[in-house]
Amino acid sequence: METTDIILRLENVVYDADEFAPLTGITFELAWGEDLVVFGPEDSGLNTLCPLIAGLALPAAGEIYFKSAPIKGFDYFQMHRYRKELGYLQRDYGLISNMSAEQNIRLPLQYHSTLSSAETRAVADRLIDALNLEGCRARRPINLTMSETLRTAFARSLILEPDLLLVEHALEGQCLINSQTFLRELERWADRPGCSLMMTTYEPDRFLVCADRFMMLYDGRIVFEGTREEYLHTDNPFVRQYKLASVDGPMRIL
Amino acid sequence: MSGTIIIIRGLLGKCFGSFEGVRKFFAFVRSIFVSFRSLRYLRLRSLVAIAVNQTRFTGYDALPIIVVISLILGATVIIQATQNFPKFGIEGFIGNLLVIIIARELGPLATAMVVMSRSGSAIATEIATQKQGREIQSLELMGIDSRLYIVIPRIAASIASILSLIIIFDIVAFFGGYLISLSTVFIPIDIFLQTLLDSMSADDLIITLVKSVVYGTTIPLVCCYYGFMPRSKFEIPIYVSRAVMRTLLILFVVNALISALFYL
Repeated sequence: METTDIILRLENVVYDADEFAPLTGITFELAWGEDLVVFGPEDSGLNTLCPLIAGLALPAAGEIYFKSAPIKGFDYFQMHRYRKELGYLQRDYGLISNMSAEQNIRLPLQYHSTLSSAETRAVADRLIDALNLEGCRARRPINLTMSETLRTAFARSLILEPDLLLVEHALEGQCLINSQTFLRELERWADRPGCSLMMTTYEPDRFLVCADRFMMLYDGRIVFEGTREEYLHTDNPFVRQYKLASVDGPMRIL
Repeated sequence: MSGTIIIIRGLLGKCFGSFEGVRKFFAFVRSIFVSFRSLRYLRLRSLVAIAVNQTRFTGYDALPIIVVISLILGATVIIQATQNFPKFGIEGFIGNLLVIIIARELGPLATAMVVMSRSGSAIATEIATQKQGREIQSLELMGIDSRLYIVIPRIAASIASILSLIIIFDIVAFFGGYLISLSTVFIPIDIFLQTLLDSMSADDLIITLVKSVVYGTTIPLVCCYYGFMPRSKFEIPIYVSRAVMRTLLILFVVNALISALFYL
């Protein structure tokens, strides 16, 4: 694959600080328009990836490249611009508690864009409509249901039309029925040319509709990597044990 | 002997601990100045909305308590003056007394203390809670400089609110005090106003402005600093209490310094 086709590249990334689980030399690439699901058990390093990519934590060794530029070398302004091009749907959503759902969605545009308030409202309205949030636009996060919180945070992460969207454990604890609107919109987003997705989850099967590639982590390293078909039919012992949630296999149960 | 060494070591530890705290605080202030660099990238409207909200809470919502406190303090000063000074010729110095005690010292200090108790503690709690809810982190992830977005509008709102509240405090204390004084001694209103105006100098107005800016900057700055400190929910009350107490101490020191600077 040409370097220009790659939006994100991790090269021998090592993380050994206390804040997140360790990583021991992770290398992978994400192409423009590609949708990757990363899964693995708890403490596998799964939850370390997104913070490292977003620049919230620094790797001890190795390099992370975004559009061929190493993010470790980003200065204040480059990091500022980088995060504008990065959508990040956090695990606990991180909605601003003293703002309504609509204000939360509009916040990145209000802060960054040169659009007028009426124009930002129009952009937000489209997302509110697509994600079925009309009934709760004036409500604060405390008054939102779990799925409304997810959809509001999702709308906020999309509003700047990021080139790369990081989705961190979005569906855990979510109602199976009510999360369909989110999944439908995620699928639509994944189909857009040039938009790349990276999702971390404990439930990879729920993202089958929108993933091109699957990757499994265990003990800070990659133990499986393959296409959707390969993921579905693999006899990799780690993936098999994970799918069966079995205590027997190469993975140690915590 | 060993007891003395332990005490000295403890005192030194406290001093160095305080120096470390001061160093961290100035690093925080520096980070705010650094964040000014992103001013050219942001749209001011997002800060204006926060500043307006904060002004409403810090200024407008504090009006009732400010009016009550100023009335009580104005009345207390007048009652003390009429009871302890000779009644003959009191109209000549009552204005001077009010300006010295209310306008120069009590007004700004009491206003700052009200703002600190209401808004300072609220700021520290709000930020600490937002930090624990990873809201601050989500701001950073959106490319929003949390220092700039949170601290600057609060400073602007605090300066505007404190200035307005000091003016209101002084006016209410003067006229409330005057009305109370009528119960013990009669001073014609025109003479009262004249002595009040004669006692006021340009310095008093400048000092009110200076104190508004200094208090308006200090209160949110210190409270934001402590709001960003807790690393767990358990630490929130510890740092909120610390924010209030440290701000209180700083207010008294700053008030004394400004008064010494202008009046000595």
